[in-house]
Amino acid sequence: MSEPMTEKDRPILETRSLAKRFSIGTRFSAEGRRTVHAVDNVSLTVRRGETVGLVGESGCGKSTLARCLVRLYDITDGKLLFEGDDITSKSLSELRPLRRRLQMVFQDPSASLNPRRRVGDLVAEPLRIHGKLSAKEIAARVAELFELVGLLPDHVMRYPHEFSGGQRQRVGIARAIALNPDLVVLDEPVSALDVSVQAQIVNLLADLQEKLKLTYIFIAHDLSVVRQVSTRIAVMYLGSIVEEGPAEEVFATPAHPYSQALISAVPVVETTPTGTRKRIILTGDVPSPLKPPSGCRFHPRCPIAADRCRSERPELKEYRPGRKVACHFPTLT
Amino acid sequence: MILSVRDLKVSFRTHDGPVRAIDGVSFDLEESEILGVVGESGSGKTVSLLAVMGLITDPNATIEGSIRYKGRELVGLPPRELRRLRGNEIAMIFQDPMTALTPVYTIGWQIAEQIRAHRGVSKAKAMARVEELLAEVNFPNPHEAMSRYPHQLSGGMRQRAVIAMALSCDPALLVADEPTTALDVTVQAGILDLVRKLRAKHKSAVVFITHDMGVVSELADRVMVMYAGRVVERGTRTELFSDPRHPYTRALLGSIPPLTGQKPRRLPAIPGSPPSLLRLPQGCAFGPRCPVRYEPCEAGKPGLGSGAHAAACFRVAQA
Repeated sequence: MSEPMTEKDRPILETRSLAKRFSIGTRFSAEGRRTVHAVDNVSLTVRRGETVGLVGESGCGKSTLARCLVRLYDITDGKLLFEGDDITSKSLSELRPLRRRLQMVFQDPSASLNPRRRVGDLVAEPLRIHGKLSAKEIAARVAELFELVGLLPDHVMRYPHEFSGGQRQRVGIARAIALNPDLVVLDEPVSALDVSVQAQIVNLLADLQEKLKLTYIFIAHDLSVVRQVSTRIAVMYLGSIVEEGPAEEVFATPAHPYSQALISAVPVVETTPTGTRKRIILTGDVPSPLKPPSGCRFHPRCPIAADRCRSERPELKEYRPGRKVACHFPTLT
Repeated sequence: MILSVRDLKVSFRTHDGPVRAIDGVSFDLEESEILGVVGESGSGKTVSLLAVMGLITDPNATIEGSIRYKGRELVGLPPRELRRLRGNEIAMIFQDPMTALTPVYTIGWQIAEQIRAHRGVSKAKAMARVEELLAEVNFPNPHEAMSRYPHQLSGGMRQRAVIAMALSCDPALLVADEPTTALDVTVQAGILDLVRKLRAKHKSAVVFITHDMGVVSELADRVMVMYAGRVVERGTRTELFSDPRHPYTRALLGSIPPLTGQKPRRLPAIPGSPPSLLRLPQGCAFGPRCPVRYEPCEAGKPGLGSGAHAAACFRVAQA
């Protein structure tokens, strides 16, 4: 039955029932010590060369999950495997050689670039830390990276403030790919950019992925950007994945009522005078991860919730190859 | 006519020389009409509306042109007079609801204070009105919400509270500056729905500033696209989205990834980035990024013309 695993199918990153909990307050605060279940029971497989898009409202745990995936956060429970190798509890020194292969790009490029150093220097830094290159080789590599991300050679001597937002994000990307990583986690990489500049960066990321055979985990709150970039989508709600599948399919036929509401809420440019799209408006707010609701965590806002949803939590089940949903009453097509 | 702005110019003196943030903006607004103002950072969309509200108090700023509210000239009006209009007949909502809320008083107290300041009613009457208003903006439990402090509410709920405050005196004009940008799409959908309902009920005219073409196409009756301090295109929603004329409008619409159908392999991107107002290019400000530029574009700045659907572009004028 099982076909031989090809290079493409082999997971580069895998999580098994991964959880991240934060403990807040002290025993002296009014409510005592409490636990935030930021990421709860996430099992996600990322294959080589694909782009997995994580979507969900703010506070759904997508950024926390991303930080767990590159071990910027310690993992509370479950397992994290990189190329089949368990890295859940590796020490910092054991992780160092891996850091080269796992990189991250953040939302605000001006916050992640030291304003007092020249950008050439900033891009060279990872090369100096990880590589055994001579100064000359480093300079050549920096020049090569600048060309790859569409910056001019004489830009190396400039400071971050001399660049526009889009160019600064190019610097952030150059730094992330300096060490030829395998996997890049992109946390809202275009959200802080002007609309007219976003498409440039989206295209640049696609070009780099093709040229350098990169695997991406892409987080953005702009759903149309996520759809454009991703091959697969995982929709998160209150710390857990509620739906997963190929990007275009999930957007065309979302199975989970939450995905349906989320996608229907995106304002799109319509040339017809009145909107033809059906919009599902959710009532209430995302519940606090301090006190998650019983049963299905979406049931207090769900338009089709039944008794079963209040008591029994649905599991994320594969109902068709490649498509998973965590709902007792999914819309299956 | 609620609002009529003619040839508005705002400039600031800075260390690096004078900056013209707004360069000749004109528009009209009728009763219960929603005008969408679209633009990127530095396009002047916020500054032009701050000027309308009389909120540019920087001593380095010069404001020229005319802003008429119900026929009354606002440019040069003493601050006392303006204060009587603001929050009463003209209301505002900003991107961050905390700019309008103080953390140290309850929501109910803050909205009631506004009503009492402008209407001089009793505290009990004002509080009763607050409860009505909170119910109108869909607070699930308005009575309880009145005793809440802003930090006890979510971002979406805070923005609703600010909208309730803005509506407290039945404004004839509501100015909303990116009110949903910091919110999730699910919450945004609710707020947009609310703005539509309120316009129908209170007959307020609304100026809605955003960078999101999708939001504008869902909400606005008429649209104004701004770039580098000037209006580059205006028209009704249908005109602008089914027949965009200015190369900037076209390019911006083209660069938005689709939510349905076939994904393009590459997005049609606009090269470069919006210009700094300190170093505006010669001629048309969009020229250096424009795919159809030709000689006249460098020689002078194209005018918008007088048509209802108009684009400030030499190519369009020629066609």
